[in-house]
Parts: sequence; C-alpha cells; structure tokens
Amino acid sequence: MAYTPKQVFLNGIWLDNPIYRQVLGICSTLAVTNLLANTLFMCFGLIFTTALSNFTISLLRDYIPKRIRMIVQVLIISCYVMMVDIIIKALVPDIHRFIGPYVGLIITNCIIMGRAEAFASQNKPLLSLFDGVASGVGYSLVLILIASVREPLGFGTLLGMTLPARDQWWHSWIIMVMPPGAFFMLGLFTWLARRWLVREVKS
Amino acid sequence: MKTTSPAYILGFMLAICTAFGTGIASVHYATLNMLIKNEKLHKNRIICRVFNLPVAGVSADAFQKAINDTITREQITYQGRAWDVYKQKDTGNIGFIFSGTGFWDRISGIMALSSDLSKVINIQFLDQKETPGLGARIEEGWFIDQFKGVLVAWDQPVDKRIIVGPAPNPNAKNRVDAITGATQTSLALMRFLNSELESFRKAIKEWREKTMLEIPPPLE
Repeated sequence: MAYTPKQVFLNGIWLDNPIYRQVLGICSTLAVTNLLANTLFMCFGLIFTTALSNFTISLLRDYIPKRIRMIVQVLIISCYVMMVDIIIKALVPDIHRFIGPYVGLIITNCIIMGRAEAFASQNKPLLSLFDGVASGVGYSLVLILIASVREPLGFGTLLGMTLPARDQWWHSWIIMVMPPGAFFMLGLFTWLARRWLVREVKS
Repeated sequence: MKTTSPAYILGFMLAICTAFGTGIASVHYATLNMLIKNEKLHKNRIICRVFNLPVAGVSADAFQKAINDTITREQITYQGRAWDVYKQKDTGNIGFIFSGTGFWDRISGIMALSSDLSKVINIQFLDQKETPGLGARIEEGWFIDQFKGVLVAWDQPVDKRIIVGPAPNPNAKNRVDAITGATQTSLALMRFLNSELESFRKAIKEWREKTMLEIPPPLE
C-alpha cells in the first residue's frame, strides 16, 4: 500500500499512535515520565533515533539479507543511540547525569524496532524518515502529557519549578513518582484516547 | 551474488560494522575534548562545593583557580588502593573520593571531614545512576545538608558510625534521615560510606605516620 506523507504523519501522531494504539514503548513511558525534563530529553533521543534508523534501514532494505535483518536493525539502532548518548554527554553534561541510564534503553524501545520492521523495510527512505519523525512525535506527545500530570502530583513541581505556595495546599502523592502511578496514568490516558479521540475503523 | 549466501552475509555484516563503528568512533573523537573538559569541570565544581570555596565566576578557570588557591592534593596508596586526598589550606579540613555500589550502579562522591576526622563538613556526589525521583534524590540539597556537622561515631561498630535512616535514638548526632521511597539506596549509601570511612582512616593514619604529621585518633 502506498502512503502519502500526510497519511504517514497523521498515523504516527494520531490514528496509529505508538503508545495508545500500537501499545509500543511502554517500558520507557513508565520509567521516565515522573519528571518532565527527563521526558523531554528522552523524546529528543527517540525522535532522532527513530527517524535516522528508519531512514538508514530503508536505504539499505534491498541489500540487507532477510535472515539477519533484525540483527542489522538492532546494530543500526544501537549505533544511533550511542551517538545520541555521546552528543548529550558532550553538550549538556548536567542533563546527561540524570537521564544517562535511560538513553541506553532507547535501543530496546519497541517503537524503533517496530517501525523499522513494519515500515522502513518496505518503504522509500524519505517516507520512512517522515514515519520515524511522526512516530517519535506521537510517542513524545503522550509522554509529555503523562509527565505533565505525574510531576505536579508526585513532586508539586513542573519542569523543576515549584508550584505556587505548594507547601500550604499540596501533599505529594508518592505513588505518582513510582511505576504504579505511571500505570494508572497510562491506562487512563489510553482509555480516554480510544474512547473519544480516535475514530475506530469499523469493518 | 545472492543475498542469502554465507559469503554475502559475512561481507555485509563486516561492511556495516565497519561503517557504523567508524561513525561512532568519529563522533566520540570529535567530542573527546569536550567530554574531558566537562568531566574536569564537574569534578572541580564538586570540590568547590564540598569545601564551600568562594568562586569568582562560573567558568572552568574560575573553579580551577579557587582550588589552586585553597586546596592541596595528595595521592596516597594504602593496601593497593590509591586515594586522592584534598586538604583545605586554611582550615585543615580533609576530603577524599568515596565510591560504592548503590541500588542500581556505582555511586561516587567527595566527603570533607574535619582535620581530626571527627566531623563531616560536607558531602557531594560526583556520579550516581539511582532511580530518578527516588534514589537519585541523594543529590538534592535537603538530603546533603543533613550531613553537615554530623559526628562520625568512631566508638561504634564500623557499620553504625554514620546512620542513614531510622535509629534507636532519632536525635543521635551521627544520624541523617533516609529518603522516602528509596530505602535500598539509603541503606546502600550507609553501608559503603561507613566502609569507606574505615578504609580512609586506616589509609590516612599510615600516611600521617609516614610523613610524620599529627596522628589521628587511635584505632579501636
């Protein structure tokens, strides 16, 4: 099936969102969304990696032996993740000290592997690059929404800035900092998205 | 050549590994100086913070000058381990780099003690990879500030000289509060801080004896 850039963009961000439609990349959604700053850098890393790995895999798709295609995909993804890790470490070392452990985990993010296998290995490079960006942005939007709820509820801060007069009216919910809080938020968001935002395809 | 033949697969893997390996090596090489500078600046910042040094500015040179003016550094070796020992010229406070296994990975930092090793002046962390929002809060000011002025209970067993978390006497002078939701990180910190303190005291005792300086309190 031939895709247009508009379709690819809408699918990645909205109709076929990796989180609430494809249920991919859940591990990192649970892990990093307790702080918005960590979430933003994770999203940057994922968009960069998904886009470039999609582009490269699509470029090489006719030359990659079918039997070892997944090994090659992981190798390409790992290399881009290592580059992201080095670049963040060199340019923003203070941020890297906080999110360093999670950057390495991008390698195991199912979205990258999923898009490489489902899209990039069957479509042209530019369209694959576009698909990578769209999937990354779709993932990022959901993570940013969840982090925007978890951080204020869990810490009483947003992007590290304390909410006005927090001590007088707010008691932090420790559960929102921990993985169960992410499960609740993700479940709630998925339900809302599927109930009201996504038009179900009836066949 | 068929893409299914073993020779093609081997050649392809070799080519792709070479290409991407070169890519990573190039990025690493291009940023190597920045990485070294960042590491040095981070360490200098931590040293200035742990000794509460006045720094004129935020540049790398300003931190280096503050350290050169007020801190002397010695490397001592005890039982095969090299210790970096920092001494504040005017107060005699002494600092050392500690490290140990946290909940997830190694935690390292610098602890400053009074010259007789009886009191913690300050503690700062160089590196940690604990859970963000939980164990990683060991770097937050409220947690670190608790260590300032804590007395090291040298008369207690090795693992109780500094207590992180609950203790029979909550007002004990050698105790700090643990982090809610990060019990394992707090316990690990207590365990390796006490162990490092014990090793450091032995190392510094031997070094002082060798260099004919003042002798620290005797070992029990």
